[in-house]
Amino acid sequence: MPRIADGDRAALRQLYEATSAKLFGVCLRILSNRDESEDVLQEVYITIWRRADRFEAGRASVMAWISTIARNRSIDRLRARGPLAYAEPVEELEIADETPGAQILLEAAQSGEALGKCLSELDDRTETVIRTAFFEGVTYEVLAQRMDTPLGTVKSWIRRGLLKLKGCLER
Amino acid sequence: MSEGPELSEAEAFAAEHALGVLDGSERARAEHRMARDPAFAADVEAWTARLTPMLDAVRPVAPSASVWSRIERALPANDNAGGGVAFWRRAALGGFSLAAASLVAAVVIVGQRPPTPLAPQAPPPGQLLNARIDTPKGDHLFVAAYDPTRQAVLISSLVPPGAGAGHVHQLWLIPADGRPRSLGFVAPGASVTLPVSTLLAGLADDRATLAVSVEAPGGSKKDGPTGPVVAFGKLSKI
Repeated sequence: MPRIADGDRAALRQLYEATSAKLFGVCLRILSNRDESEDVLQEVYITIWRRADRFEAGRASVMAWISTIARNRSIDRLRARGPLAYAEPVEELEIADETPGAQILLEAAQSGEALGKCLSELDDRTETVIRTAFFEGVTYEVLAQRMDTPLGTVKSWIRRGLLKLKGCLER
Repeated sequence: MSEGPELSEAEAFAAEHALGVLDGSERARAEHRMARDPAFAADVEAWTARLTPMLDAVRPVAPSASVWSRIERALPANDNAGGGVAFWRRAALGGFSLAAASLVAAVVIVGQRPPTPLAPQAPPPGQLLNARIDTPKGDHLFVAAYDPTRQAVLISSLVPPGAGAGHVHQLWLIPADGRPRSLGFVAPGASVTLPVSTLLAGLADDRATLAVSVEAPGGSKKDGPTGPVVAFGKLSKI
């Protein structure tokens, strides 16, 4: 990162080689569209290039930092598509979220393990709503419409879910 | 820990912002609040850190080979964009905005600030002084900044919340004269704004050091630290 901050292009290239597939996966997971995801991926690395000097080792891992940039950029793009982008009902997303066993095992080996465990301790509905919100940046209003549930109810599911999540992660 | 029945309103709002469920105007309100309320910014950062591991489970997919060449072509344009890169590089030496306004703020807010070129030889009056407050071994425990305009020290504790029960962390300003003056307390994991008296404000310059001592509840009864000084750092200009 310090080398990138100093304007070393070879260092950016190295970072790109090591992380672009992961970040492209993040963009694709959020946008479900290759062309748009590649546009966003390009923006992400240019953002990294410009902001590498804001990165503080010890406060976050490089991977967490750049993944957050990829998520934020992708969600910005998704939101820019307008409300039509949110027409997909939650049921379909649940099916899309179904991961085969081998994949789950692989995932569990990664550092998201604790969070994954804590999310799975929530009831299915709350877990789905939190995951959907995280990966799509959809507002309470849209979630409520999609689930045909009053906004206040969705809000209290999420707030209660987040509280449980926090308690679980602190254990 | 969080055994209470609910998240506080502020923390719930921070968590909702990190999760991404706020609508446009609420989101703008959250970002605005992050810029001026370090405690809130720290909450957003903590929630982002809690939720981001969800991305670990995403499967990598190789992008087209053309993406890298597009990135490379776009880079020189950035270098020439009104000294923006050079500005941020200088600004980063202070590091305060990243630390106090959080990672998320850096991603969300800093990106929207216009790249105003600063004259490095003539810092404006009222410039922030920053300090990383580290242990002698180099562990990074607190981030602080002195804001001469507000006459206050903004400090964020990176000590895990709930750590060091039965003790308090007391912040000291040690000016050029070497005599420590207490500024107040900062709880583990908290971000607070501690006012600095007008008398002391004149001594808060780049010759001063900030230090944190571990004290019994209520703090040191003397003019200086009673307990061990665990971390310190010099105030310096951005």
